[in-house]
Amino acid sequence: MLHLITSSIGFYFVLSAFLIGALGSLILSKNDKYANIWSNFFSILGSSTGLIFAISVMITGKTFSFKFNSLYQHLLSFAFNIDMLSAFFIGIISLIAIFCSFFALGYVKHFYKNYNIGALGFFYNILIGSLILVVTSSNAIWFLVAWEMMSISSYFLVVYDRKDESNVKAGLLYLIMTYVGTAFILFAFLLIYKYTNSFDFSIIKSNINLIPLVTKNFIFIFFIVGFGVKAGIIPFHIWLPLAHPAAPSHVSALMSGVMIKTGIYMFIRIFMDILQPIPVWWGITIIIIGSISSLLGVLYALTEHDIKKLLAYHSIENIGIILLGLGSSMIFNSLGMISLSLLSLMASLFHTLNHAVFKSLLFLSAGSVINEVHTRNMEEYGGIIKYMPQTALFFLIGSMAISALPPFNGFFSEWLTFQSLFQGITQLHSSLSWIFIIAVGSLAFTGGLALTCFVKAFGSIFLAKPRSQEVKSAKESSLSMRIGMGFLALFSILLGLFSGYTTILLEKVGRGLSVFNETFSSISISGNQLFKLNNGFSSIGASSVFIFIILGILFIIFIFKYLVNRDQKIKTGKTWSCGTELTPRMEITSTGFARSIILIFKGILKPSLQSDIEYHDFQSRYLPKSITITFKVNNVYSNYFYKPIQEIFNGLSMKVKKIQSGNINLYISYIFIILIILLYIIL
Amino acid sequence: MNIIILILQFIFVPIISPFFIGLIKKIKAKLQNRQGASVFQIYKDLWKLLHKDEIISNDASWIFKIAPFIVFGVTFVVGANIPLFSSNLPIYLSGDILLIIYLLSVGTFFLALSGIDTGSSFGGFGSSREMTVSAIAEGGLLFSLLTISIIYGTTNLFDISSGNIFASNHFILSIILAFIGFFIVLLAETGRFPYDNPDTHLELTMIHESMILEYSGKRLALMEWASANKYVIFTSLGANIFLPYGISYNTGILSIILGILFLILKISFFSFIIGVIESRIAKFRFFRLPDLLLVSFILSIIAIGLIN
Amino acid sequence: MSILFLQFLLEMMFLTLVFLHILKKNSEVVFAYIIQSILISLVLFDSFIETGNILMLWVILCVLIVKVILGPLFFYRLIKRDALAFSVSTYLNSPLTLIFISSITFMAFSKNLLPVTNIIPLHHILLSLSLSMIFLSLFLIINRKGALSQIIGVLSLENSIIMFIIFAGLEQSPGLQIGIIFDIFVWIIISTVFASMIYNKFGSLDVTEMNKLKD
Repeated sequence: MLHLITSSIGFYFVLSAFLIGALGSLILSKNDKYANIWSNFFSILGSSTGLIFAISVMITGKTFSFKFNSLYQHLLSFAFNIDMLSAFFIGIISLIAIFCSFFALGYVKHFYKNYNIGALGFFYNILIGSLILVVTSSNAIWFLVAWEMMSISSYFLVVYDRKDESNVKAGLLYLIMTYVGTAFILFAFLLIYKYTNSFDFSIIKSNINLIPLVTKNFIFIFFIVGFGVKAGIIPFHIWLPLAHPAAPSHVSALMSGVMIKTGIYMFIRIFMDILQPIPVWWGITIIIIGSISSLLGVLYALTEHDIKKLLAYHSIENIGIILLGLGSSMIFNSLGMISLSLLSLMASLFHTLNHAVFKSLLFLSAGSVINEVHTRNMEEYGGIIKYMPQTALFFLIGSMAISALPPFNGFFSEWLTFQSLFQGITQLHSSLSWIFIIAVGSLAFTGGLALTCFVKAFGSIFLAKPRSQEVKSAKESSLSMRIGMGFLALFSILLGLFSGYTTILLEKVGRGLSVFNETFSSISISGNQLFKLNNGFSSIGASSVFIFIILGILFIIFIFKYLVNRDQKIKTGKTWSCGTELTPRMEITSTGFARSIILIFKGILKPSLQSDIEYHDFQSRYLPKSITITFKVNNVYSNYFYKPIQEIFNGLSMKVKKIQSGNINLYISYIFIILIILLYIIL
Repeated sequence: MNIIILILQFIFVPIISPFFIGLIKKIKAKLQNRQGASVFQIYKDLWKLLHKDEIISNDASWIFKIAPFIVFGVTFVVGANIPLFSSNLPIYLSGDILLIIYLLSVGTFFLALSGIDTGSSFGGFGSSREMTVSAIAEGGLLFSLLTISIIYGTTNLFDISSGNIFASNHFILSIILAFIGFFIVLLAETGRFPYDNPDTHLELTMIHESMILEYSGKRLALMEWASANKYVIFTSLGANIFLPYGISYNTGILSIILGILFLILKISFFSFIIGVIESRIAKFRFFRLPDLLLVSFILSIIAIGLIN
Repeated sequence: MSILFLQFLLEMMFLTLVFLHILKKNSEVVFAYIIQSILISLVLFDSFIETGNILMLWVILCVLIVKVILGPLFFYRLIKRDALAFSVSTYLNSPLTLIFISSITFMAFSKNLLPVTNIIPLHHILLSLSLSMIFLSLFLIINRKGALSQIIGVLSLENSIIMFIIFAGLEQSPGLQIGIIFDIFVWIIISTVFASMIYNKFGSLDVTEMNKLKD
């Protein structure tokens, strides 16, 4: 049985489930209900078999590859290579897809009648299928085909809610950025092809010495831009906070949780596997990008009051954290400190997995809130915890996990990331160790700011009084949605509790890469989930953390609730508000909450405050009629990065336009001059 | 014997913490030429609060109700996991600096949520200020502890406290700088001058007090007690990591007692300094606080840079 | 016939091109073109005598009918009907034009273009001459403002290309290629000229409209 699963047959089964789901839901698109059930049934089927497939490959360590050759054999062959790294990413994709599909069963209902459910199911299944293709293909051309399938299907999902003008705009920006990225990727692969004469990853890998170092550096930069656009690193992130919120929530969860990770997958695949060995400055670059992305990502998240945009910015932040691990892994790798490199890679893989879990959990619970309140603006929420208590609990778990609070999973992966950075500080010499000091600093601030941001998010969504009428009619979401969220919440607890086992598995995944084949482990994990760095620098026990926290809090509750003053009376009353009637307008808003931090970081965020006051009597100016205050954070990237580029292009076009006078004589004289020049050059 | 030491390690912080809050108040009173309440007054206050009935806002949710237990529970757990009077305990406690920092964040998280929960504008602004200060303090806190960790080659606080920090003069400047950084963060995290005024309920000055404004009875007692615990946690971290004199290295009764006495002495010394500071300087304007915290961060970074 | 005679014919054609540059009347321009076309049919006739290819005779007949009779007739009718629309005015004045013509001719004879003009060493001068004619025709199109003169320029460009091809020897592949390239150029030019004629028509109409508005 296991033999059958871990072979190409198991893999085909997974892919064909998605294909059947996609085509079937197109055929059934006349009937909304059937189309929804069909598409989600098959995506659940496909992704759960995918999960089984991935886990059995990882546990047995049975990797395999196969391919079909097409006509242009040396160029395009449908080559698949399922090694440990691919299996790990298939596992992440499938795990998230299962629960997103469960969630979709209930969530998609509000699209009935207004939208084509068949098309949604079609693109949704295609997206999951192409994600799996991306992480398994081992031929550059075939990879690009899968990459494009993924980009296009996700584009259609972004613009699915097409009645909103801004969604269409967001989709367009996404499409443009994606194609810019793809162009860079294509260029890099062509450069590789020029020297190695192959598009096949394994052949490229064995011929990698043929590429001169300068070209390799260029290839590195092109890949950074190309995959960085998809991963959402700053400053190529501008599409992400617009496109992710535009898509239906279960798709946003999939995009934010999984799709941007394909960029990370390719980073690992190319830098840690194919292009080995690598120079030190690559790793330094990655670490710096990671520091900037994590710190700025969380700062921008703080300024948002659109719940999904806030979460999207947190994706940028977490990609930054993942890159901190990856970057230190690359530095250690170039310096020959292989076992530390493996440790850092494990940290980065662990955070990839954890982020997928809690970010999709957060997106799903945000989606169910939006579904009830019909707005993404957090200023119009408030007090939802009383109307949707379970969703609130799930969101709370997600928030604590993403803020790296113990005992949830986020803490353990950040702990590992911190450890690998600490190792960089202690083991390396001055100039390199400064890079790690900067990275630790940005990670520390990121942690603190993320906590602030989620206090703000949870507080203004779920706590205090409702700030709009819509909230008062909100109901707890349907069972299938709660199943989707609940299991993800459970997973973020389990991944924390069993972080030791997870780490063992991740080490196995890391060893799947040929650089780490025979590496000494730099971390040892004992039975009670205690993991300890082998040089004795740090250790932490997941289960003891759990037991301490749970028992400690239960003990306190027991003592103070049941032993001390047991017959205490509890009355309810009004909140004290200096004697006036307490209205929702008196509560702190999400903008107000973040304002002091925005002002502290005003050098980076460049906020602008505009106030307009209209007076009853313009002459006396004592009685204002209305006061409008616009507080916004300027988009630094479009102002200082994209706008200058656009202006340069516009300026060039204007200059080029001058030679287009519309005068026929001038045109012919161009031809004449060029003819003469050509004749002189050629002859 | 071992059991007694363990129980002592677990309950030491909650038992002793009200005393030091009382001590600071006493010192401040003396400096202001007042008689002041007894140093044990805080115990009486807590006892009184624990036996009172409660009023809970009808806008509050279960977060508000459970937060005091979590906030207190976290300080209880952290208090048990840091070196207090002995660096050598019968069982192995991980005492990892990251774990300590992030566990304390759990308390901050729920404290801030409970402030927002009642819908009062005081609570909301208190939470906002608290989170702002603690977010910026995090860098300084981590780096000041990290400096010492790097010198000792371990992030385990028990191992750190058992080493002799002044064995080599090589690192003395680093340690002093890191200590200054740590002390600044200590003031911020425990809600002392110039960050917060623990004595007033004036809306412009308060951070911590405004978050717990809606609490009463048992829950208020827990919140106040938790903040006292936090004070002892931070001061004993400072005492045992930066000045590890007198801490017991074994589990002998005499050395344990000596360790406890030394710890109380050291924390009293800290309290005296804080009392003097609170009597001498005024509270800073809110937007000047980040500068101070960044100073702590930069000092700690310089400290790390000096090691290499 | 001898090379010398061919050279004489070619020089005559060259002269007509120079005249095309200098002439200031539409009818004179067309007349110069007729002479040029007659000369080209003479050159073709010469090659007919040498090769004895009957097909060539048909070509000559076609050239005579289209270029000497039909084309000019069409132009004369256009000139009569729409006299004002055409103009022979140039961008450069006559002396400057002449200086340009001489420098372009010099360029065509220069050493740098030897690979083109020396395809058949025997015909070196003839080829250089026809190359300079090609350049001059292009320059004619550039220099003239009126659409009719531009069309004439295109047509004489075609003539000069034919000359070049004949002397370069059609069967030789590089010559053929150059011919193809030039033909493409010619077609591009023809289409642009017509497009600009249409543009000018509308443009001028527009201007009168605007003038009326001003009143």
